Amino acid sequence: MKKMEADVIVVAAGLSGMAAACAAGEAGAKTLVFEKANTTGGAANMAMGPLGVGSRIQRESMVSITPGEAFRKHMFFTHYKVDARLVRDYYFKSGDTIDWLERMGVEFAGVQRAFSAPEATRPYSDGEFTWHVVKPEGGGIPGPRAATAMMKKMTEYAMEQGVEFCLETPVKKLIKEDGAVVGVIAVDAQGDEIEARAPSVIIATGGFGANPEMIKEYCGFEYGKTINNFAVPGMVGDGLKMAWEVGAAKTPIIMEIMYQLPDNLNHFYIEGAFRQPCLWVNRNGQRFMPEDQIGNTTFTGNALAAQPGKIGFAIFDARLLKRYKKKGPDIVSHVHPHDLYDHFEEQWERDLAAGYEPICQADTIEELAEKAGIDVEGLKAQVEEYNEMCEAGYDEVFEKERHYMEPIAKAPFYCCRQTVGAYGSLGGIKINHKMEVLDEEAHVIPGLYAVGTDACSIYGDTYPFTLPGNTMGFCVNSGRIAGENAAAKVAEF
Amino acid sequence: MVKLTIDGQAVEAREGQSVLHAALDGGIYIPHLCDHPDLEAKGGCRLCSVTVNGGQIPVPACTTIVEEGMVVDSRSESAEAVRRTSMELMLATHPADCTGCPKYGKCELQSIYQYMGVNGQDWRQKSRPVPTDEKNPLISHLFTRCIRCGRCIRACQDKRGVKVLEYIRDSSGVHAGVPEGKSLADAGCRFCGACIEVCPTGSIMDAVGIMGKHQSYADDVVPCRAECPAHIDIPAYIRAVREGRPGDAHAIIREKVPFPLVLGHICNHLCETGCKRTELNDPMGIRNLKRFAVEHDTEQAWKSKGFQKPRTDKRVAVIGSGPCGLTAAYYLNKLGHDVTVLEKRPQLGGPMTSGIPGYRLPLEGVMEEIRYIIDSGVKYEVNREVDNAAALRADYDAVLVAVGVSKGRKLPLPGAELPQVHTAMDVLADSRAEADLSCLGQTVCVIGAGSVGYDVARSLVRSGMTVNLACIEQADKILADKDDQEEGAQEGVNLFPGRSFEEIEAADGKVTGLRVHTVLSSTYDRATGKVTEVAEEGSQMVIPCDSVVFATGQHTGLQDYADFGIELNSRGYPVMDGFKTSEDGIFAAGDAITGISFVIKAIQQGREVTAEIDRYLGGDGQIDEALVERAANPYIGQAEGFAALPRVEQELRDASERTADNMDVYHTYTCEQAQCESSRCLQCDLRLQFQRVKLWNEYGGDNG
Repeated sequence: MKKMEADVIVVAAGLSGMAAACAAGEAGAKTLVFEKANTTGGAANMAMGPLGVGSRIQRESMVSITPGEAFRKHMFFTHYKVDARLVRDYYFKSGDTIDWLERMGVEFAGVQRAFSAPEATRPYSDGEFTWHVVKPEGGGIPGPRAATAMMKKMTEYAMEQGVEFCLETPVKKLIKEDGAVVGVIAVDAQGDEIEARAPSVIIATGGFGANPEMIKEYCGFEYGKTINNFAVPGMVGDGLKMAWEVGAAKTPIIMEIMYQLPDNLNHFYIEGAFRQPCLWVNRNGQRFMPEDQIGNTTFTGNALAAQPGKIGFAIFDARLLKRYKKKGPDIVSHVHPHDLYDHFEEQWERDLAAGYEPICQADTIEELAEKAGIDVEGLKAQVEEYNEMCEAGYDEVFEKERHYMEPIAKAPFYCCRQTVGAYGSLGGIKINHKMEVLDEEAHVIPGLYAVGTDACSIYGDTYPFTLPGNTMGFCVNSGRIAGENAAAKVAEF
Repeated sequence: MVKLTIDGQAVEAREGQSVLHAALDGGIYIPHLCDHPDLEAKGGCRLCSVTVNGGQIPVPACTTIVEEGMVVDSRSESAEAVRRTSMELMLATHPADCTGCPKYGKCELQSIYQYMGVNGQDWRQKSRPVPTDEKNPLISHLFTRCIRCGRCIRACQDKRGVKVLEYIRDSSGVHAGVPEGKSLADAGCRFCGACIEVCPTGSIMDAVGIMGKHQSYADDVVPCRAECPAHIDIPAYIRAVREGRPGDAHAIIREKVPFPLVLGHICNHLCETGCKRTELNDPMGIRNLKRFAVEHDTEQAWKSKGFQKPRTDKRVAVIGSGPCGLTAAYYLNKLGHDVTVLEKRPQLGGPMTSGIPGYRLPLEGVMEEIRYIIDSGVKYEVNREVDNAAALRADYDAVLVAVGVSKGRKLPLPGAELPQVHTAMDVLADSRAEADLSCLGQTVCVIGAGSVGYDVARSLVRSGMTVNLACIEQADKILADKDDQEEGAQEGVNLFPGRSFEEIEAADGKVTGLRVHTVLSSTYDRATGKVTEVAEEGSQMVIPCDSVVFATGQHTGLQDYADFGIELNSRGYPVMDGFKTSEDGIFAAGDAITGISFVIKAIQQGREVTAEIDRYLGGDGQIDEALVERAANPYIGQAEGFAALPRVEQELRDASERTADNMDVYHTYTCEQAQCESSRCLQCDLRLQFQRVKLWNEYGGDNG
């Protein structure tokens, strides 16, 4: 068995692991990073940017929110059910971390709140300007994948600090001796085992978004049935399992909820076309939220999860489709293509013919309800009531914005079943504010740290979109804090 | 050598080399996607754009040949602009959201856009959905993700000559694919997987469930070799057979095992279980090809190859001469140690010469392979029973206990102690030695229908007896393999499945029958060894017989000795730490530590324990050897109807003919059959010839 030694071992090279490696490396610790994939960056390669509070960019843009205010807002959002000291240390670090990233050469396009939309329907209207969106190299409009430029800079910076990367070399287990974690067993691409030892090991494997069994066991969703979440290959809960195996305490785990169609990449026009403030009902045919809020994917995901069977249905009619085609969508998402309705019918016909399960079309409301599996009488009554309110121009039930009150009256009718989605899992390993892993008795397991989404249990039950960039924000800051602490421990010796 | 400057750095390149590869070899990273080190450059993707000698118009570095004194700039403004635009256009049609893609984290496109920091928002996004096709065996097509680099097409057309993949133009645009919407099988695909290997995105991938079963990528790609306990280079020897080189095939097998002929007859062929062709129709006849290769090796060229280390002064005793013991003896001798095999029976070979019947394994073949081991310098003593392994340490530096499981076990039935009640081990040994079996009488009941039970039953049928084979398992749960069951039935073995045994009946101290009743179901608890059954009422019956043979399990027999000198567990197996027993210098391996298993497993145990013993004696434990140089032609060409080529079976001799003698029940492949069968191989190993494309993060830090 090949042997390696280091001061700090980082398990996985996503954002939190890279932050840990950069921080440990720049503090002079000999740092070793093990990564399953052949690329660094993990899920961050598809993201846009992290939260920061109190950064240079914010000050120069006159964004006045302070770390203390962010902390209070976070604790209010989570009803003080989470570790306040951990939350506090995170926000107070976060502004400086943005500056730190800038010193590495990361450029930010600016600071944002969550996506812009018409004022009345702005889905995250009470959001703060905390989201530091990474600027694509050489300029251009930022979008998904923008943060990949940051991951490149971090990788280069880590290499300059002498951090050693073992790519395609997953860690299989932790080595624990005399109550302390002292290293890891990894397996390289040839299948040969490596025993690597270090006084500090930092787990940063990104949760279990690609592990249906764990999703079922810990979050109660059935992958492909009641949830269609991102399943980034390799994120199968390795870190959680190896930490639990050495005695780490478990925390509650949530899925970071949004909503998404099954196999959405191949049905992208359909998904975008139905993300509109048309008529949304549950399985009983009843409306369950003001549809002008469906742009808030977090709340809509939660709302869907609360409906019978954890599903909902978006419905529009021929007249509404004609309007969308002519005037464009009411809600423009930042993910879906701009030319949604130019290609809608082509894909719709193809998907109908292929029997794509979430969709159906009918010439009467009864037939539509039957095909979709919605309660027929319930939907008929709801459409009738809804159309009357449209006629009157006012939504008496949810006070949906008036200009979205368009009746569902002209055949054919189009329906698309909506299911919960998620970005991945959050939480699982109990840590303190130093990112040290705790056992069931809340004692520190010496030598073991956990960071990023493996240890992110500071959100309570719902992603705090009011402080956007939060997932990446926690990843980069928890990683950085753990890296600093692990390196400081070496200096003490 | 050609000297040139790339990005201000002096680089030496080979004559005729492309600027791109000159740069990459010199440690200078230039993004590139449609280029692959094993495929002809096409200059299509424009990511490797550079300007040359101060010129303004960018050219692709992959199709530009180096010239003396050339000055190349990959970072000039116009080159960067072309590269950037090209990447943005690729991303404009590539699905915006990668998080659901199985290639995530192993994707070249992802690595390059990470390097370039481009996210593809500056062009209108245009989703071009192409339906995912997961109907083909082994290969998934997800051409929504195709970026039209053409690597798969070049691999399929030029590298393999299979010519299945082409550019497809349809309403959604251009992407790689199979013309006319044909399935891969109908188009003549040979399922070599080259397209998967070179695809830089998640457009062509191994079908769900194919990968991830083994320890390494190479093992996943070539599962037959991975599944074989000895990891014999199976695709290589199948290739040798196909190319008319049975001697090379034999040598390749010999690289890992000293009993190719034995395995060619009786191996349980885990390799075939792993064979990817199973996804198309039936697995390769790997075992049969092995037998063919060995039987047709007229040159025996392998004998003059392989290593023989200088003699050491170490002595090793090997107790037991089954496949494990003899394998260890063979390799320990090659490592230079002085090896003596101690065998309690009058003949070497363990179950190969005294258990497995002749109709499955001809004796002469086994003896020839054993003789080679002895001739190579291994000493032996037969009729030498060892009752204390530790005592041997006085004369030997190391001792290997490889006694197997040679003691048969009887069930505790009333009557089991009668003189006409035997164990399978004893009967098989006598049968193989052609000893007198008249003590069994004319009608025999065999209890237990595993492979040993069938060995006994079919052997006794050949001695002219009437054989009733009874077992507790229901007919569809019988442990012996299907061939045994079918051939046994043809030969006249009477099967009594789903029976529970009450008593061996006797009159005047002589067996008269076996009393049983029928069970509707039964479960066996491995932990406690208890059997729970549901009996059918009123089903009691007596199967008349003159003798009973138990084929109901075996054990080491070590607990029968007063003190074998090493610690044993309650079931009579040595207490082990890896291959080490409780005593220093005494090792154990094979069935004696694993319980009853298969010959190939025992051989691998022999190899592994050899390495361990050699290290104990101060050696390096290295026993790998190459007996043939490998040269596989990657251009496999077209083969009509390849996917449907049926598996060729060995010809089974007629039942009446084969029970009249004790000869092998199968004819070995004819040359023509071997040619046909070996031509079915998918040659999965060719995929591993492709070089891995190095990503930017392997060029060591910021080079720009």
